[in-house]
Amino acid sequence: MKKIILIIIYSFFWKNFLKFFIGLKYVNEKTLKNKKQFILIANHNSHMDTMAIMSAIPSRYIHKVHPIAARDFFGGSLFKKILMRYLVNATLIQRDRDDPNNDPIDSMDKMLKKTRSLILFPEGSRGVPGVMAKFKKGLGYLIQRNPEINVIPVYLDNVYKTLPRGKNLILPYNCSIKFGDPIKFKSMEMDDILLSSEKAMQKLMK
Amino acid sequence: MNKIFNSVNLIAEIQWVIAIILAILVFATILFWFWNRINPSKLVDEMQLRTRSWWVMCIIFLFASIVHPVVTYLALGFLSFLTLREVYSLLNLREVDRSVLFFCYLSIPIQYYFAFKGFYTLFLIFIPVFMFIIVPFLLVLTGETKDIIRSMCILPTSLMLGVFGISHLALLINFPEMNSNGVSGKALLLFLIFITEANDIMQFVWGKIFGKHKILPRVSPNKTWEGFIGGVISTTVIGCLMGFLTPLNTWQLIAISSSMAVFGFMGDAIMSAVKRDFGVKDMSSAIPGHGGILDRVDSLSTTASPFFHLVYLILITS
Repeated sequence: MKKIILIIIYSFFWKNFLKFFIGLKYVNEKTLKNKKQFILIANHNSHMDTMAIMSAIPSRYIHKVHPIAARDFFGGSLFKKILMRYLVNATLIQRDRDDPNNDPIDSMDKMLKKTRSLILFPEGSRGVPGVMAKFKKGLGYLIQRNPEINVIPVYLDNVYKTLPRGKNLILPYNCSIKFGDPIKFKSMEMDDILLSSEKAMQKLMK
Repeated sequence: MNKIFNSVNLIAEIQWVIAIILAILVFATILFWFWNRINPSKLVDEMQLRTRSWWVMCIIFLFASIVHPVVTYLALGFLSFLTLREVYSLLNLREVDRSVLFFCYLSIPIQYYFAFKGFYTLFLIFIPVFMFIIVPFLLVLTGETKDIIRSMCILPTSLMLGVFGISHLALLINFPEMNSNGVSGKALLLFLIFITEANDIMQFVWGKIFGKHKILPRVSPNKTWEGFIGGVISTTVIGCLMGFLTPLNTWQLIAISSSMAVFGFMGDAIMSAVKRDFGVKDMSSAIPGHGGILDRVDSLSTTASPFFHLVYLILITS
């Protein structure tokens, strides 16, 4: 049931809306086609980012892909929670790691062990357009625990212009979403992981 | 009975045009294929890419203009929309202009509704009279005056070229008050688009083959006097040959076609200057080989309204 809702929303509505009305161009989105499980990392400047990425995911396993969202921002009311759960397929996590019983890395790790895929915004929150902030360490911990999973960088080029931060009017703008090839890590050191992911992202930015 | 006869006759004429267009496309495809076989070069590759895009554009256009009038209006409205989107994506407008952009986009359905309903006067004054005043005032309402002149110039101009200009194509379809003369709007629409695009191609071809003396050296190095004059002459000849689509006589055809060639050149030159100012070669990469949507419709946006009004003038005075 959830799968059908998600397919209707993303593969039909958002995909066509973004393609024909907004002017979003999908670049190399076929790279997702024959991968069962992956972690997508993307730059984050606007709420449209999640919609754009979800609309590019093949409908066959869209129900298994979960955007990661901050509980303190999106988990406010019950309505918001239900909306996030059923219409965005999001997983809400704690932003900080103060509570050891409720570690965000643990909950994301659990999702990956259940063969789910994740969409992460490793900059932590919506940043300044065009400037890539330092990636959070959480990405590194997650990759260290799941070294065999494909990590695919996604660059959203000008997508934020359709819905800039603080605005609530969606307007068309010619923009694109670029998928990179899976990142190859030299080693499982934290610095190495973060550096290679940042480099992969920078390569897509050009 | 007469009416039925007329409509059948009309279909025959449009069928002729479709046959001509397809014949040209097939000819070009075969020509460039052989050319590429014998003497491959970058130019031929580009020509093949362009021809392929022409196929797509022609099929979309013919489909949209033949199926049902409503489809034609929707398709032309979408073309206006794509043009505006391309302009606004390129021109780096201020973030406060976003709310005004919404009203600019909103003017498209309104303008095409007037065309569809045949509200001739409203159609004519909506953008040049009302939006011309409303859009700058909405910009004032945003409260931000820094760089406001730039937006005040860009937005009404984009509406004039992208919406007002192109929507005249839609107005041609039900060329109002003229039906007693046996004028078919669809045939006129086909005629206009055919000679405008033929003019683009002819100027390009003449310029490539004989081009020596640059006409606008600082704006567009590709435009030459040879291309311009050759284009005007061949467009006039093509216009006369395609005259069976219009109710005009030969002299009127010569006048209309040659002036359309000049107007098309002007539109091309205006857009070249805009692109030069922004340091880009093409508006976007929407159509392979051609560049953006606006690179293709730039000449249409300046020929559509002069064509409509000149033909209108000729028909009501004669």
